[in-house]
Amino acid sequence: MSGDSLSKWLMIAWLLPLLGFVVEIFFGYYSRNPRRSKAAAWFAVGCIGTGFICSVIAFTQWCSMTGAFDGESGWLAARVHAHDADDNDADDNDADDNDADDNDAEHHDGHSGHDDGEAKGHDSDDSSPSDAAGAAEAPAEEEAASDEAAVLREGGHLLAVAEDEGDDHSHGHDGPKGEFSGVIYTLGTFGGITLSMDYYIDSLTLVMFMMVTLIATCIHLFAMGYMSDELTDDYVDHFAHTADGKHVHRPGRFYRFFAFLSLFCFAMLGLVLAGNIFQVFVFWELVGICSFLLIGFYTERKTASNAANKAFIMNRVGDFGFLIGLMVLLTYFGTFRFGDTKVDGEVVEQGLFSMVTRDATGNFVRDDITGEVLLTDTHGHALTEGGENRTIPYMLLVVAGLGVFAGCVGKSAQFPLQTWLPDAMEGPTPVSALVHSATMVAAGVYLTGRFFPMFVQEVLLTIAYIGCITLFMAATIAVVVTDIKKVLAYSTISQLGYMMLGLGVFGWGAGLFHLVTHAFFKSLMFLCSGSVIHGCHHEQEMPKMGGLLKKMPITAITMLVGVCAIAGFPLFLGLHFSGFHSKDAIVASALAFVNANPTHFLLFFLPLLTAGITAFYMFRLWFYTFWGKPRDQHLHDHAHESPWIMTVPLLILAPFAWLCAFGGEQGYLYVLITGNDPSHLHDGVQAVTTGGLTLPGHEAVHAVHSQAGWLAMIAAFSGALLAYLLYGVGIVDLDRMKAQLSKVHGFLLNKWHFDELYDSLFMKPAHKVAAFCAWFDKAVFDNIVHGFAKVGIVIAQWDRVFDEKVVDGFVNLLGDSTKSIGNSLKVVQTGRLRQYVMFIVLGVVTLFAFVFTTFPS
Amino acid sequence: MTPEFLLSAIIFLPSLGALILSFLDSKAVDAFRIGTLVVTAVTFGLTLMLWSQFSYDEPGIQMLVEADWVKTWNIYYRLGVDGISLPLVVLTGLVSMLAAIASWSINKQHKGYFILFLLLETGMMGVFLALDFFLFFVFWEVMLLPMYFLIGIWGGPRKEYAAIKFFLYTLVGGVLMLVAMLMFYFNTGGTTDSFNLIELAKVASGTSETLTQTLSPNMQITAFILLFIGFAIKLPAFPVHTWLPDAHVEAPTPISMILAGVLLKLGGYGIIRVAFPLCPYGAAYAAYALVAIGVISIIYGAFAALAQTDFKRLVAYSSVSHMGYVLIGLGVWKIVEATGETQNSDMWLMGINGAMFQMIAHGISSAGMFFMVGVIYDRVHHRDLNKFGGLMGRMPLYSGLAAGLFFAGLGLPGLCGFIGEIFVVLSTWNFNPTLAIVAASGVILTAGYILWALQRVYLGPEYRGPHAEDIKPIEAREATVGVILLALAIVFGVFPGILFNVMEHSTAELVEGMKLGYEQAASQVSTTLQAMR
Repeated sequence: MSGDSLSKWLMIAWLLPLLGFVVEIFFGYYSRNPRRSKAAAWFAVGCIGTGFICSVIAFTQWCSMTGAFDGESGWLAARVHAHDADDNDADDNDADDNDADDNDAEHHDGHSGHDDGEAKGHDSDDSSPSDAAGAAEAPAEEEAASDEAAVLREGGHLLAVAEDEGDDHSHGHDGPKGEFSGVIYTLGTFGGITLSMDYYIDSLTLVMFMMVTLIATCIHLFAMGYMSDELTDDYVDHFAHTADGKHVHRPGRFYRFFAFLSLFCFAMLGLVLAGNIFQVFVFWELVGICSFLLIGFYTERKTASNAANKAFIMNRVGDFGFLIGLMVLLTYFGTFRFGDTKVDGEVVEQGLFSMVTRDATGNFVRDDITGEVLLTDTHGHALTEGGENRTIPYMLLVVAGLGVFAGCVGKSAQFPLQTWLPDAMEGPTPVSALVHSATMVAAGVYLTGRFFPMFVQEVLLTIAYIGCITLFMAATIAVVVTDIKKVLAYSTISQLGYMMLGLGVFGWGAGLFHLVTHAFFKSLMFLCSGSVIHGCHHEQEMPKMGGLLKKMPITAITMLVGVCAIAGFPLFLGLHFSGFHSKDAIVASALAFVNANPTHFLLFFLPLLTAGITAFYMFRLWFYTFWGKPRDQHLHDHAHESPWIMTVPLLILAPFAWLCAFGGEQGYLYVLITGNDPSHLHDGVQAVTTGGLTLPGHEAVHAVHSQAGWLAMIAAFSGALLAYLLYGVGIVDLDRMKAQLSKVHGFLLNKWHFDELYDSLFMKPAHKVAAFCAWFDKAVFDNIVHGFAKVGIVIAQWDRVFDEKVVDGFVNLLGDSTKSIGNSLKVVQTGRLRQYVMFIVLGVVTLFAFVFTTFPS
Repeated sequence: MTPEFLLSAIIFLPSLGALILSFLDSKAVDAFRIGTLVVTAVTFGLTLMLWSQFSYDEPGIQMLVEADWVKTWNIYYRLGVDGISLPLVVLTGLVSMLAAIASWSINKQHKGYFILFLLLETGMMGVFLALDFFLFFVFWEVMLLPMYFLIGIWGGPRKEYAAIKFFLYTLVGGVLMLVAMLMFYFNTGGTTDSFNLIELAKVASGTSETLTQTLSPNMQITAFILLFIGFAIKLPAFPVHTWLPDAHVEAPTPISMILAGVLLKLGGYGIIRVAFPLCPYGAAYAAYALVAIGVISIIYGAFAALAQTDFKRLVAYSSVSHMGYVLIGLGVWKIVEATGETQNSDMWLMGINGAMFQMIAHGISSAGMFFMVGVIYDRVHHRDLNKFGGLMGRMPLYSGLAAGLFFAGLGLPGLCGFIGEIFVVLSTWNFNPTLAIVAASGVILTAGYILWALQRVYLGPEYRGPHAEDIKPIEAREATVGVILLALAIVFGVFPGILFNVMEHSTAELVEGMKLGYEQAASQVSTTLQAMR
């Protein structure tokens, strides 16, 4: 086994949906009865489902290669079990990775054993971490063990640094460095620059693969039910009208929907698998266009196509920044690859991550003289070119980081590019669930996490603030929105803000942890809302609903699971809802960050407040929809629970949404995600200048974990309680309250007026400039050309006059005179032969005389 | 078939076809159509054969043909192919063939049309294969006349205006080229190799064995400016682009395809084949201007496209915008003032490759876009963007193909337009960060005008313009053209290496030669300066 077979499984999972797309779109178009057949949908489900299985196979391979579950000593099992031995309560546990203070002997042994193992594994092929850990290894496993050693050799620069400079730089990892990178094929080679399609597989990749494929499979199934009214030759679109006011009739487009979904899955998995940032950009745009196609699925609706355009163009604004980041990276680093390229264990070409090195304080190593950041080889030694150290100005590293992050801002709908996501709800609900909550919009967070080793403090602070603004703003809007899908959309934006904040305050694991838990509970909630919309015959306004609990119990209960999860509710026996763990982790990181940098206190205060708001608006949604008395009797009478094909995915997703984070930061999921976390996280980063930022290490975060947890829990409970009082019990008249707060309400209802702002700030000026350019072409350039043409014509006219008067005059004169001479010679033309002969003789004689006199021999 | 014969066959087979067609009765419409299609298809086959005989590892000219022509004036019949011209030759063959398929919609004076069409192909092939400056010039002008008549006779309502505008613009360019050509001829002593483009390039880089003269830096600058203006008109670059929208709007669909697909590339090819290698010092001198003009073209073209209401005009302006990338890619030659060395020349190499790729990619995507406009124009006889809508429902296959081709124009990854654009833009930061940022901002505008156009034409509840009853699904003939172009857009977008492998050695050699040439000229300049002191 090697990285090859691992990557093959993932590549199968990646390419299957592409095959699905091709087959569905072609057979859908050419088959005899595409409008009524569910074949396309089953094929799509088959592709993505197989993709999930392949991902799991790849995961198990990866586990055995990195020795994750080798009995008690497997690194993953060890980390989880070590904490099982402790008190299971996450709040009390602050002994995680801390060697020095760790009293737990078993854990300590296992841990240091790993360190040794890593070093030895690097030295020789014969030892393995499992051996070094002293566990009884059966001889039969020898082969696997040497494979593991090979893996560790692939394990990147950190080990090399450790070997080179002693143990100072090995930040006490007890995770594996099981990263695998390689080339799929080359796009182009230009001298020393090679651009290629690569893969980069580590624990995060695998988690993302399994998460995406699992959720996508559920959503595909759900969509088969949700989109079933497209299975007809005459679909009536009630939201699109022709000029005479009638509804649009069109053939159903069932197969096309699934073709687009498959294409999206392909692009999304490609994004996760990508081994260089350029490739990420490629699939970044591809998921963008899939999003465009899916948002605008109801092409007849003007609102849908507008929303699709808006989504794509706003994403392109972010991609513009992304592009700038790419330019800087390529110009200074000469490569886009994340990981190192190795041949037989030797690094032949470095990736980005190993070209910068962090010193003991966690900051990038800089050139002593210029102060620019040094580019280094895998051993931390400066790279040189032409006798000088290769460096990149610190500012440009900031620019590159901000550029890449700008792309993430667009994709993850962060402030100030957040306005497209609510509009994107024009797409069918399964799309909202898959593309616009669980996977694509989370790609921004994923990339921020993936590219984390290259971010400097200034960039991280920006990320934190952007996330902070976003999470608060979106949550406030979610409080007043009445469209069930839009509440979820704003909640998505807000939660993505949490993830960004988490990453920005150095809670790398926390941010990505929340990414995964959020994907589960948000896709669940979107599917529930889809079920509600389906059951209520495409009614999305919550004020018309109410009391649906009895009509659709499965939907209501699964939705409640999702709501509790996002609100972050704890439960007894450690069966806390997933959001409890992940949001706790973020809030704790934020608190630790604020403790270290008190000037940025908002970065803790706003998320905490928003935790309360989140619980409030989510319970508001639930009570509004499922609780109380029906507000629209007609709607209520016709409402029904959805068919099994739609409820089964809900029942699959609900346990995941509840329990996927089981064990919190000592659970499998978190340990797995952080298996390959960036090396400088553990000890944090110390500020080098007075105004600089100190980024908290793990220890600092653990110290405040329980404090932050309690605060977040209190906020969540009070928010939920308020929602219950207002919407569950109805202690105050909501309309009166609305009237009293009309200004705030209006401000929020208008989404903080961002649409109007952008319209007048960008859209209108752009069209004005465009009109100006078009006018300029006609009025200026064409007129200049016409001017030349006119000059030409005038010259030509003068030429004609000259021709006619001067040249022709001369010629005419000549002609006239010839004519008159001829006339005068008429008299000699007598017709008498003798006279002519005499003339000839005279002429010849004269000629000869002339010739002989002029040219005497 | 010997390579030498192959090259001549590619050039003159279309002319031979034209000759044969001229003997046919003018009423035999189908004979003209099929005859032209066969001739162009065979020519395309020959170009593919050329590709199969092409050696990838050889950086220089291959299959060199040299024969006397006008010996008194040292004019020779020199042909050859290298990694730079080969892709363009194949592209010309392909686009001509597809345009021949598209020419079914021509509805008057078939005989004249198809004869001129074939003569045009001879001219284009000739330009790409000629290695004698004079021969190059002759083919350049040969191309001009058929084009003039094709627009002027078979064009739209303002065809005369458009044709004369096209003619005059191009003629000005030709005259400037003629002047530059004579400058080189007399500066190298008017000997047998004085029109030889390969030898002239060697003179510029100081490696020529037959010509001993050197090209003075000042002369290089003057010649470069003359040549550049000539080629920039053809490209077209801001501000000499205004012939393009008119010519495109008035030209019949197949001619628009050829115009966008091939003729514009002649400008870029001229720069890379003639202007660059012959005047490296001039190129370095004008590099900033090239990139700046390219950037302005991108932004200006995109804005102008955004404001258009005529579908074809929009596509025409998108060509202006897209060809701006070609100029940028060629021009990103960063020379460190102090040392006179090229900084990070791999970046420049990447820019040149990107520019070349962009030419091919644009040839595919813009030909496709113009064809797609033509398909709907043939049905409803108008191009007003505000009077379309709902075509997705009525012509699904057509709309799907069109969306694919427009996405290729938009620069969507996985389609050919992306590769050229992105490689060019990536290479620009090294040259000048400000220009790079402005160039990159083009991606937003491009998305804007293309998506907006797609929305107005293909989406929406219903068709809002005249002749709604004439909207029929796309025919097999039309679908063939669209499918071929879209398939190529995908293939080149996913596997750009197919083209880069062909080009890489030739472009690398070009870069090396130009660096040498620059150093030589620069040392000349410094000695002059020292002498003055």
